[in-house]
Amino acid sequence: MQDVNALITFSSRSGSTEKLALAAALGAVQARANIRLRWLRENVDDETVDRVPGWRENRERMTREYIAPREIDFLWADVLMLGMPARDGVSSPELKTYLDGLKVLQSAGRLSGKVGTAFTAPELASLCSVLAGLDLIVVPPGPTAAGNAIHSARLHGRRVTERARELQAGRTAESKSTR
Amino acid sequence: MIVIRRSAERGHADRGWIDSYYTFSFAGYQDPAHMGFRALRVINDDRIAPGRGFGAHAHRDMEILTYVLDGGLTHRDSMGESHTFGADTIQAMSAGTGVIHSEFNASAQEAGHFLQIWIEPAIADAEPSYQQISFDPREKRGRFRLLAAPHGSNHGGAVTIHQDALVYAAVLGSGENLGQSLAPGRHAWVQVARGNVSMNGEALAEGDGAAVSGEQDLSFTGGPGGSEFLLFDLA
Repeated sequence: MQDVNALITFSSRSGSTEKLALAAALGAVQARANIRLRWLRENVDDETVDRVPGWRENRERMTREYIAPREIDFLWADVLMLGMPARDGVSSPELKTYLDGLKVLQSAGRLSGKVGTAFTAPELASLCSVLAGLDLIVVPPGPTAAGNAIHSARLHGRRVTERARELQAGRTAESKSTR
Repeated sequence: MIVIRRSAERGHADRGWIDSYYTFSFAGYQDPAHMGFRALRVINDDRIAPGRGFGAHAHRDMEILTYVLDGGLTHRDSMGESHTFGADTIQAMSAGTGVIHSEFNASAQEAGHFLQIWIEPAIADAEPSYQQISFDPREKRGRFRLLAAPHGSNHGGAVTIHQDALVYAAVLGSGENLGQSLAPGRHAWVQVARGNVSMNGEALAEGDGAAVSGEQDLSFTGGPGGSEFLLFDLA
């Protein structure tokens, strides 16, 4: 079986999108992907953070547990999975940081053939078209099982990994047949 | 036959926040001659700086045991388990179909010293599980305290793993003797966690390991300053 490398990137404050990211990553692991989990640092002042109960604690913990995605993570990945809190707009600074990182690689032709998806995000359809515009092969999430976002994220992580493996197998077969 | 794996011969990586000695091949240390022993695949002797640790990462199809020698460890995982534990505790995680977890030195002031042990499971795709059992340190004083036993065996007080392996801890004072018999055909690995101990006349120091095959009677004597060691009884 071919290796699939899955990079799961998320933005989270209260930790609920983090839970979905862990679920999507777990689905990828269940489908035998190698995974990296990355957290998009937020640029928010301490005063704002302290107005929301629990935010500072979560931020300190996530700062300890995750690094931000690096260029080598994007290059390593066969699959790019993204999770953004629904309350954030598509113009959120965290999302912009992520997409800017990808744009640099896309213009160098380094994203072609990689699979992209979001397991939760605002304006999902428009985000998927942005990912497609970055030369990613987009696998949109299926319908969310009612009341069970965690379960849906896990299934999606699994399904996307399986799709990526099929694509890899297809490419291998194609390169053999044209040889 | 007893084959000794000396402490200083182990793989070593000091990355600042973590100083690790690898009894068997692990991460950047790869030696085909030291890929494990029987089902025992990894013994990592890790010293981790205050507040530092391993961020979220995945495991699959592995029985992972953690034994704290000094300090404490905070564990969080995708099964929803979140615990801090210290010495005289055995923690076991059956990764099975997949687990994502993080582990950090629980102290912001003190370095921690941990043994991380991987045992290959006899079955693939097991249901992931988490177990943690604490015991009175007197239970390992001058005798073997069973830490881990195979699933389905009827040993109370030990974590269970998906492999035909028994793991014990023992603490011996200087000059104190302790014996253990292995069933015919069984193998053993001895790992010295601290101090000095001799086994069947072979002197072992902290960090030393020994592979035992074709022997039935193991006889341990605490060396100067005494010792704590682990014994793996393996198929």
